[in-house]
Amino acid sequence: MTDSAAVKKEISKNISRISLDGAGYVDARFYQDDSSETILLYDGDLEANDTTVESGIGVRVLWGGAWGFAATSDLSSLRSCFDKALLNAKTASELVKVPLFMGDRDPITGSYSSPVAVDPFTVSLEDKLGFLTRLDADLVDDFILKRIVYANFQKKKIHFQNSDGSEINKDLVNVFGMMMVMSLDSDGEMQRRSMSLYSTGDGTSGWKMITEPVLFAEHSSRIKSELKGLIKADTLEYGRKSVILLPGQGHLQVHETIGHPLELDRILGYELSYAGGSFVNLDSFGKLRYGSDKLFASSYGGILNSPGSFGYDDDGTPERDYLLIDRGILVNALTSRAMVNEANEKAKREVFSQSGGVARATSFYRAPIDRMTNVNILPGDDGSLEDIISSTEDGIVVDNPVSWSIGSNREHFHFGCEIAWEVKNGEKTRILRNPTYQGHTLEFYNSLSAVGDKSTWRVELVDNCGKGEPNQVMQIGHGVPVVKFDDVIIGERK
Amino acid sequence: MLDANIRKILMEVRDQAASEGIQATLALHHEKSHLMRIGNSSISLNTSEDLTRLDIEVTDGRKQASQTFLGMIEETETIRNVLDKAVEKAKAAAPKTYDPIPDEVEESVYEEIQYDEALANLDPGVKADAYREIFSKLGDNFNYSGSWSSGSVEVCMITTANRNEVYHRGTDQLFTVVLKHPGKKWELINTQTGWRASDFSVEKTLKELGRLIPVYEKNPGFKVEPGEYTVIFGSDAVSEIANLSVFTGFMGRGWEEKQSWTSQNKPGDEVLGKNITLSDDPFNPQTFMFGFDMSGRKRKHFPLIENGVLMNLMYDSSTAARYGREPTGHDTRSMGIVMNTGDGFECPLEAVRDMGRVLYIPALHYMNLPSRSKGIFTGSSRFNALLIEDGKMVSPIFSTRITDSFQNVLGNVSVISSVSESVNGSNTYGRRMPVAISVPSYIVAEGVKITDSADSF
Repeated sequence: MTDSAAVKKEISKNISRISLDGAGYVDARFYQDDSSETILLYDGDLEANDTTVESGIGVRVLWGGAWGFAATSDLSSLRSCFDKALLNAKTASELVKVPLFMGDRDPITGSYSSPVAVDPFTVSLEDKLGFLTRLDADLVDDFILKRIVYANFQKKKIHFQNSDGSEINKDLVNVFGMMMVMSLDSDGEMQRRSMSLYSTGDGTSGWKMITEPVLFAEHSSRIKSELKGLIKADTLEYGRKSVILLPGQGHLQVHETIGHPLELDRILGYELSYAGGSFVNLDSFGKLRYGSDKLFASSYGGILNSPGSFGYDDDGTPERDYLLIDRGILVNALTSRAMVNEANEKAKREVFSQSGGVARATSFYRAPIDRMTNVNILPGDDGSLEDIISSTEDGIVVDNPVSWSIGSNREHFHFGCEIAWEVKNGEKTRILRNPTYQGHTLEFYNSLSAVGDKSTWRVELVDNCGKGEPNQVMQIGHGVPVVKFDDVIIGERK
Repeated sequence: MLDANIRKILMEVRDQAASEGIQATLALHHEKSHLMRIGNSSISLNTSEDLTRLDIEVTDGRKQASQTFLGMIEETETIRNVLDKAVEKAKAAAPKTYDPIPDEVEESVYEEIQYDEALANLDPGVKADAYREIFSKLGDNFNYSGSWSSGSVEVCMITTANRNEVYHRGTDQLFTVVLKHPGKKWELINTQTGWRASDFSVEKTLKELGRLIPVYEKNPGFKVEPGEYTVIFGSDAVSEIANLSVFTGFMGRGWEEKQSWTSQNKPGDEVLGKNITLSDDPFNPQTFMFGFDMSGRKRKHFPLIENGVLMNLMYDSSTAARYGREPTGHDTRSMGIVMNTGDGFECPLEAVRDMGRVLYIPALHYMNLPSRSKGIFTGSSRFNALLIEDGKMVSPIFSTRITDSFQNVLGNVSVISSVSESVNGSNTYGRRMPVAISVPSYIVAEGVKITDSADSF
């Protein structure tokens, strides 16, 4: 069966059949096309010229409070895929202490398309290579030992149906880009500077985005110049200082220490055997001082141009914009339908009023789990980067992650960055190499002392967030301004 | 055995391509995967996937492209379409500045020495029963979570260079149970791995957790202040450290490009302690034995470190071509890293009986590398970590961060267990590809740098 209309009809019939059998909920995601193209230039050589094309269906059945899931590429065996998911759910229902339920929901009919001016899959390989090769040429310099230019284009055409009667079609396009230069420092250690394609939260994704100079290509000369300074720089010494995070680093801080600990499945203990838990519990909401008064964090699935925007999640919930942290107080989590119901039952009160629309699966052959959409820090009123530097007595500015290691409950962290600039008495002075900083999440966010304004805010794109069993890689975005934290441990003890 | 029709149509397309002068590698990956996930003492997800992937790589002089297809593969036309797309992309590609080394299956290989029909077809009900028994015997004072992944993988590869074919079929499983104390918040874990259904037993889990639960229940958490400590690393932690040291120290590309912590050394130099020996050994049954790599080369025992001395570097075809080296059979996602055992007691507590206060850190969570060139890694303790005094388990320790170097930790090992363990390092991002590493059940390292700790588990 290759005719998509016939497949959709067959899905509908099977959802009705399994529902009539007594399933609490059934859904199916039909990936008509899930394509990814990766191009990697390494010192100008085309080292990766890879395309992956996937198609198939994933079926989820809730029976007796437990999930069964099955997936297949063989569309001629749709019925048996539904039967397998049902059988898996029935087996799972034999060991249920906390039954899951999705709750009643009015049917939704909808569609979502990423805003795309030029579909990257319509651009020829020659044109793509022409653009990327020119970018690579811009990175060439005598002192540079290694150059990397990377682009990844993704396209997903997904049809969703569930037993609520909802039918949703999604056409998602994501584009990622990265360039990096490397050189040896005076100790023979390889240093690097990189720049990833970012979004302003508007405009269009697709080919036009990666070719927009301000978002990507025009940063080539800056990273070269910074690398030149970096290889001659002193090493950052151990101590306690203010740390100013540029968005290239700040987005990962937010991702790891606001995003993940606020995923409700982690809070409820569903990730303990792999990704870990969370220091947050159900009593924390409305009470826990997560950060200083300057901290406002949101989950916004509707940023116009971000891989964390997808219209409707894989429970059929429309995207939402809501605060997670309001003036430093934790007020909400990243939630999906079943997790909200379980949390409210467990707490014996309404902790969460509705799903946050974060149930997502990476492909047709994985079941949805709670994933970040766009988890953001909202712009503040402390001005520009220059304003924040000028108000800093003793600190460092850091950019771009080299290393990240976070405690299993996200209670503490250690980050290594590509570059630091020393700040003394309100002036950015010298470059420092091998910068690291570490801290404990709540203490760290409570030391937030400055949040940059809209001029410093941008959406960083993440294409490699790993979570779940079976494992899933997800694409998301983080809108973050420049942020400053005080009295942070920097560098390594001797 | 590979489906006869798929094998037939694969060979047909190979023959067509060869006759047309196309230089191509065709690889088929078929997995049947099952995973049961546990959350809140319930089965939270029970999944099955049956997926077939076709990877075709085409080389056109110095130009290369690859095309992967995951979908229905039943007809010659499907495979031919994937090939044609790869051919078209290779034509449009930019030429490399060096000559790629063409894939060629050296000799036909058919291996299924680690295939177990019972595991391939394991009834999910068996898993449910095992978890039920564990929950019942350890009691309902805890919140249980975990997962049990099992399945089979078939890999078949042919090239247009000749009509040789390599085929691998194997099974693997990774069982995990985590129990968390709802009030005190500590977490204990037990894992089991293997390629046979019979490699798993409920009794092993009950015995291991039964040994640790009383220590955790009776004693409060201990906060480890930053400083240098003697640390017993359990097999999972040894595996993490050894594996990361291998991938950042002994891969040809990292070394050639001065990004490796061994880049300022050369083969023959002593880079780790004299009691450390590491190899890549596809014949070790504690690894998931892959006898060939995906360039068609037969894999063999490959010494990496012998008594602390760097012996060899691993070169995949692409790196070898780029730097004028010989490929070493490392175009693979399933290496068989082996760290040799020593002469330490079987029980780690015996080994540290005269060492006073030591930390037992069986696993490291979320390891990463602040400086790859210097071999500096960081990660934190998680499950089953203990304070040991005079060989006795004293109390659980709170989440504790280690930031140290491979050279320091693997250069100051005072005891190495005489018992080896297989540690499953598989992930299921994308395709199923089992990986395991064989390591001593523990090592004792002196002067390990603890750099931070939390007030909680």
